[in-house]
Amino acid sequence: MSSDQDHLKDTDTEARFEFKKEESSAFEAEKGLTEETVRVISEDKDEPEWMLERRLRALEQFKELPMPDDWPGAPDLSEVDVDEIVPYIRPDIETRGGAENWEDLPEEIQDTFDKLGIPEAEKNALSGVGAQYESEIVYQNMQERWEEKGVIFCDMDKAVREHPEIVKEHFMTKAVPPSDNKFAALHGAVWSGGSFVYVPEDTNVEMPVQAYFRMNSDGMGQFEHTLIVAEENSEVHYIEGCSAPKYAEFNLHSGGVEVFVGEGAHVQYSTVQNWSKNTYNLNTKRAICEADGTMEWVSGSMGSKATMLYPSTVLKGPGATDNHITIAMAGEGQNIDTGAKVYHNAPDTKSTIESKSISKDGGRTNYRGLVHISDGAEDASTSVECDALMFDNESTSDTMPYMEIQENKVDVAHEATVGKIGDEDVFYLQSRGLDDDDAKQMIVAGFIEPLTEELPIEYAVEMNRLIELEMEGSLG
Amino acid sequence: MSTQVHATLTEEQVTEISEDLGEPEWLLETRLDALDALEDLDMPEVIRTPGRDWTNLDALEYERLVDPLDRAQEKDRIDAEGVDVLAWDEALDEHGDLIEDHFGSVVDPQRDYLTALSTALFSAGTVVYVPEGVDAEDVKVRTRMNSQSLFNYTLVVAEESSSVTILERQSTGEETDDDQFYSGVVEVAAGENAYVQYGALQNLSEDAYNYQVKRGHANTYGTINWIEGNLGSRLTKTSVETRLLGDGSESQIVGAFFGHVDQHFDLASRVWHEAEHTTADLVTRGVLDDEARSVYEGVQDVGRDAWDTNSYQRENTLMLSDDAEADASPKLIINNHDTEASHSATVGQVSAEDMFYMTSRGVDPESAKNMLVEGFFVPVFEEIAVDELRDDLEEMIAARLRQ
Repeated sequence: MSSDQDHLKDTDTEARFEFKKEESSAFEAEKGLTEETVRVISEDKDEPEWMLERRLRALEQFKELPMPDDWPGAPDLSEVDVDEIVPYIRPDIETRGGAENWEDLPEEIQDTFDKLGIPEAEKNALSGVGAQYESEIVYQNMQERWEEKGVIFCDMDKAVREHPEIVKEHFMTKAVPPSDNKFAALHGAVWSGGSFVYVPEDTNVEMPVQAYFRMNSDGMGQFEHTLIVAEENSEVHYIEGCSAPKYAEFNLHSGGVEVFVGEGAHVQYSTVQNWSKNTYNLNTKRAICEADGTMEWVSGSMGSKATMLYPSTVLKGPGATDNHITIAMAGEGQNIDTGAKVYHNAPDTKSTIESKSISKDGGRTNYRGLVHISDGAEDASTSVECDALMFDNESTSDTMPYMEIQENKVDVAHEATVGKIGDEDVFYLQSRGLDDDDAKQMIVAGFIEPLTEELPIEYAVEMNRLIELEMEGSLG
Repeated sequence: MSTQVHATLTEEQVTEISEDLGEPEWLLETRLDALDALEDLDMPEVIRTPGRDWTNLDALEYERLVDPLDRAQEKDRIDAEGVDVLAWDEALDEHGDLIEDHFGSVVDPQRDYLTALSTALFSAGTVVYVPEGVDAEDVKVRTRMNSQSLFNYTLVVAEESSSVTILERQSTGEETDDDQFYSGVVEVAAGENAYVQYGALQNLSEDAYNYQVKRGHANTYGTINWIEGNLGSRLTKTSVETRLLGDGSESQIVGAFFGHVDQHFDLASRVWHEAEHTTADLVTRGVLDDEARSVYEGVQDVGRDAWDTNSYQRENTLMLSDDAEADASPKLIINNHDTEASHSATVGQVSAEDMFYMTSRGVDPESAKNMLVEGFFVPVFEEIAVDELRDDLEEMIAARLRQ
């Protein structure tokens, strides 16, 4: 058991509870998130003073920043009740994400788990049920292998205590400062959990680093912070989340991801988001890429009620490269607003954005992207491709790219297409003996192949199964 | 917003303009309502990205730019057979009911601050009335602005199965002591099976500020094609829009711009598909030199009921200078899956390969570049029906290249 858990156990006493009760009037007096709440979180984690200060600074910014609700066509966030976060994040209350028992999970989620064939231990880990001892062992084994190479992979709370120099330098300073947006600020104030990955110079972590087994390990996965620092000429592939739905009682997820790609380093960050369909998923993800470094974002957004997610890369050094692959799928009642942001701040930088979206049963997808080429970024090139597939007339598919080009020696191309599933394609497959549903599923599987081929095989298989599930019975 | 003009505008001024034009009561009221609304209206929308406003309209000193009673201008109106091309006061006499039916029905007179300002203050106007079944070519309206500010209004009504091609151009006649302000509103109502091509060439003084909104309603099988050429002005904010309201209606919006020095062009092409079997094609090509900046927004909005829609959009910008900036946002809003829609946008410079090809054939680099830029505009020239517009646009581009 980690010292973190020991600490929790030691402090989670009746007396401590009483003390909190005394404080509870302070919570109520000022509705919403207060300094006191943030202090309690920080104290509970036994954090150093500097982290508390950062949290409090973020809190100030959270109060000042406006809601991102004035964007054209942005998801409706009026139901996001920030005040509700307070009881949720207070570490002394037992209502952290996840349900108490497997049986308490909504039926549709249990059903999906079963159909995906996810083993019991993983089910527990994914739903935040239990302490996931079995996955802990797997995690430990992997950890030893990395440690020999000097790679650090631990949870973020531990990193704050054990690797303060690296964390202090990179944590919400250069990549995602809390001032970036309201939910980044909220995240900065109440963040908890997440992963820390450090890869030393010239080190290649051949096998993908997966946060799969440790999801929700401390039950507070909804504001998790991931920090990846890849030093010069190193290489790492980090995979987060999984294709099974993550169930949370509280309806806001606001994660933060920061990636530092050193000179000549290569980082791939892959994630498949499948939050339960009552969740507002508002994340801030950003990478800073030094000379000749490569950043690759692979994101699939399947779940949630509303998602606003635009992984960003700042191409800071000459020759840096950024690749985005994003897939969004919106069904009934879902509004998936995703995209990509790239800043070309140096010569010879390259970026490609490939976005695919599927909307059906009244769902809404929106590609919202920004490509900025600064003056002086000579010979920068960028290509953006957005393809949207629509299943029916209740659905909506929007594409809203923004391009800001301040340099003339550039090659900028943006292309987008929207269409329905081709009758001809369906006919072709049907004439070869597939029924209508199978034909359409196959077309969709082909449509999203650019994503699945970037994922390790077990994820790709699950992704495909998940798409099948999402489409089950929904095809006319 | 202290920089706005309405503090110094009075009802008396608006009434004087209206009376000078012999306007009926309802129109004066529309103007006074617009004046009244100024206080609550916002500036036209501009694109905002994190940390940047693509165009800052609030920074202009409208109080200084606008002199409501200085209305000096010259206009040539060249009509075609069977068409009425009338000055505003004449038009009110001859087609009072037609104007009352259509005025403000396409462009909301209080759509935003600058439109309402134009509604309240317009002193120059033209009505183009194309009766049923008439085919008319080469209607021309040329405006030379000689005043501090000029507010212009144009109404085109094309009745069933009529067709018309129109050229409207704005240039500066006499400059005033201060930067000038031109504002134009154009409404086009195309009836069933009517065809309207409305070409505009804006070549105002490079100290002038220019705001224009052009919008058309296309009825069943109707077609509205826009040509929008922008070379002049210091700052231009325009929106060219078509609502495809009738089944089988079509619209093309073709834009050409060439910015140099510190010109700023904020140009929008927007189309709404609101009926079945509609088609839209948006093509804009532009060149930027020196420190010029272009801001382009293209919107293809496909409504829930717009079955069998075809909608295409292309925007290409050529950068001739390292200090220029090209911003673009082509948007697709699709609510009906029975749609074939695409858009693309590119920004680049004159291709090195093309340059090599030309220079290897003995063309000096300067001439080679000029020829390639002129060639870049050819797809736009090809769409222009009125010779005068095409020839003048070609000439102006050639002249600017050789400056």
